[in-house]
Amino acid sequence: MKETNISPGMSESPTAETDWVTLLHDSARSGGQKPQAVPAPVRARWQARSAGPVRSSPILRDGILYVAAIPGIVHAFNVETGRAKWTFQAPGQIHSTPSLSGNRIFFGCDNGKVYAVERDSGLPAWEASTQGEVWTSPVIRNGLVFFGSADGHVYAVELDTGKERWKQTLDGRVYSSAYAAEKAIYVGSGNGSIYALDSASGKIIWTTPTGNGIDSSPALSGNTLLIGSEDFFFYALDVSNGAVKWKYETGLGIMSSPAVFGDLVVVGGKDGYLYAWEIPTGELRWKVRAGQVITSPPVIGESVVYIQSGGVVALDNVSGKIVWEAWVGSSVQSAPVISGKSIYIASNDGEVYALE
Amino acid sequence: MDRRTFVKRTCLGSAGLLLGGVSDLAADGVVLPTPPPIDVHEPSDSKPSPLRMPGLYPGRVIELLDSRSIVNNRVSQPVISVMLERGIKELTGETSSAAAWAKFVTPADIVGIKINPSGAPACCSSPEIIKEIIKGLESAGVPTRNIVVFDRYAYEMDIGSYQTHLPPGIGVVGIQESKLDASGYDPNVYCQASFFGEWETRSYLASLVTQRLSKIINVPTMKDHSAAGVTGCLKKLGYGTFNNVARSHQSPYSFTEPLIGVMCSVEPLRSKAVLNIMDGTRQVWHGGPLTQAPQFIYPAGLLLVGTDPVAMDTIELQAIEKKRQQEGAPSVWARDPKSITTDGREFYHDSTKNLFYRQPGHIAAAGKLGLGVSDLKQIEHRQIALG
Repeated sequence: MKETNISPGMSESPTAETDWVTLLHDSARSGGQKPQAVPAPVRARWQARSAGPVRSSPILRDGILYVAAIPGIVHAFNVETGRAKWTFQAPGQIHSTPSLSGNRIFFGCDNGKVYAVERDSGLPAWEASTQGEVWTSPVIRNGLVFFGSADGHVYAVELDTGKERWKQTLDGRVYSSAYAAEKAIYVGSGNGSIYALDSASGKIIWTTPTGNGIDSSPALSGNTLLIGSEDFFFYALDVSNGAVKWKYETGLGIMSSPAVFGDLVVVGGKDGYLYAWEIPTGELRWKVRAGQVITSPPVIGESVVYIQSGGVVALDNVSGKIVWEAWVGSSVQSAPVISGKSIYIASNDGEVYALE
Repeated sequence: MDRRTFVKRTCLGSAGLLLGGVSDLAADGVVLPTPPPIDVHEPSDSKPSPLRMPGLYPGRVIELLDSRSIVNNRVSQPVISVMLERGIKELTGETSSAAAWAKFVTPADIVGIKINPSGAPACCSSPEIIKEIIKGLESAGVPTRNIVVFDRYAYEMDIGSYQTHLPPGIGVVGIQESKLDASGYDPNVYCQASFFGEWETRSYLASLVTQRLSKIINVPTMKDHSAAGVTGCLKKLGYGTFNNVARSHQSPYSFTEPLIGVMCSVEPLRSKAVLNIMDGTRQVWHGGPLTQAPQFIYPAGLLLVGTDPVAMDTIELQAIEKKRQQEGAPSVWARDPKSITTDGREFYHDSTKNLFYRQPGHIAAAGKLGLGVSDLKQIEHRQIALG
């Protein structure tokens, strides 16, 4: 299978092979797994306790794993030792998956703010305000940071200062993290619509309604935008005009965000199944029950898909057969980080594991 | 007790409160343990509200049936809108929806909508109903910022996607982030009893209830419950606002009777819970409250509206019993030692199995505490078929 370059010109991509700079590795939600699959873990190299439950996903750069715990604390763990380099206490809870850009880490907070923190020291750089909690993962592109808020708006602020460039109302709470392309960003809203917004101005380019609210965060493959809806359908849209290319009905709503690799897109459903489709045709390649309820996004590579659904389950890309399972921690809603031969996961009981 | 009242609730024996369950008990020969006394610690300065349970309309239950309310497992917003408006008007006798809602709330209230996300995503309080309740509250002048949707476990609410579905400005609060998180509870309001020798014998009431909210709209689902028999208005309200409640069950026994009723009688919870809207669009007739098995979830297309939680749960119990009978499952009153299993997988796949001897008598026990009417002959059950 060829690896499609689905995000030409992305400003935020990993600088080292082991980096994992935002939700699902990079802003393209590609998953980031390299051709070699990680073998079944046999031990926890270390286990660390965070400040409380973790429902966002960890990120990694230069040997530091950043984990945002719900009580409002961001931990910077040394991946070799599991020891904390620093912690940052936010004034509210954190559900947002952080993103990295340059020397800063960006994340949303339930107090309605987005924070930029120096990743070497944990000291705050700037903050940007909204009127609702920010659970979305900030996405960085071309000097701007894009994020949605529960106040019903999507915001663009300057990367260096946090100064607001524009905001656009979407008539519904925004829990879907935006996908940022060169000239447009794509995002779902609690009102059930998928939007394309002009990156420079925030103006709405097109809108496509679905039958219920949207939690899922979109991914882009070529000219196809991929996203799930609470209306039980998974959608593939023409990115130029929002027209539905194909859609597929699952058993319940879709909260999980899709990951793409080549012509394959994988997403989890609240019905407990993991689905894999051929992107050009919408043909179902496989469908496998991987848990009772799947809300976390899968991580995808050339040969293996990983999903957290109470533990980590690894499935063969081609057949969907389960390759291995590692049942650690309590129910998990965040996505794993795969780096080298290690798997890093954070759990709802506040434990952080380095498995290998 | 320092400005607190220490009340020992009279603990009513199980057998004396059962509705028709006594002979079953005798026939089965199962002897249930006697419940221990439950001490209640509540604020001495709590003033009982005239709206307190059983509320403005004791014994009245409005049942609305519309099969179009749930199609292909999807709840219809427009149909729910019509059902709820009709139900609230029928309950109150008002001709306008706004006037009906104004019977229960004022613009100065901080209103909590108590949802039931346990069992999400297969069966939980439908966001479509919550949205219509919000519209109703707003029509009575309650500001959006004064409305809070809440339940006990934040992670269950996440799975139900309530945050996404609700309009901007509505608060969404999970009292606990994890199983052992007690930070959201009021140390001065609790029920205390030792059921099975547990190390923590207190269950505390949520601070959100004691300190922030002035009114509660309770939105339970209609479900079988492996310990309580059924879970409806009473169980969802009591066990969803107090912590440390799982300790009341230990296979095969459960003290949900009398604990559920005692909890619901605690002030200020009793005074603040002014209205119940039971989501019966889906009914769980076995495996409750957490089952995800579609074979046990029935698209009943019902809403129940009332202020009397005991009367509503009595109607719910009747409905669940009827469905179980149709499906060939044992009565929730049955106490057969052969039915008891400690294997959760077996329970979740076999409707003849159960984890505990169920305690549907908790409803009548709550009635004895003054929370409502459990005698079917005294319940004014109005059934309205809309489609």
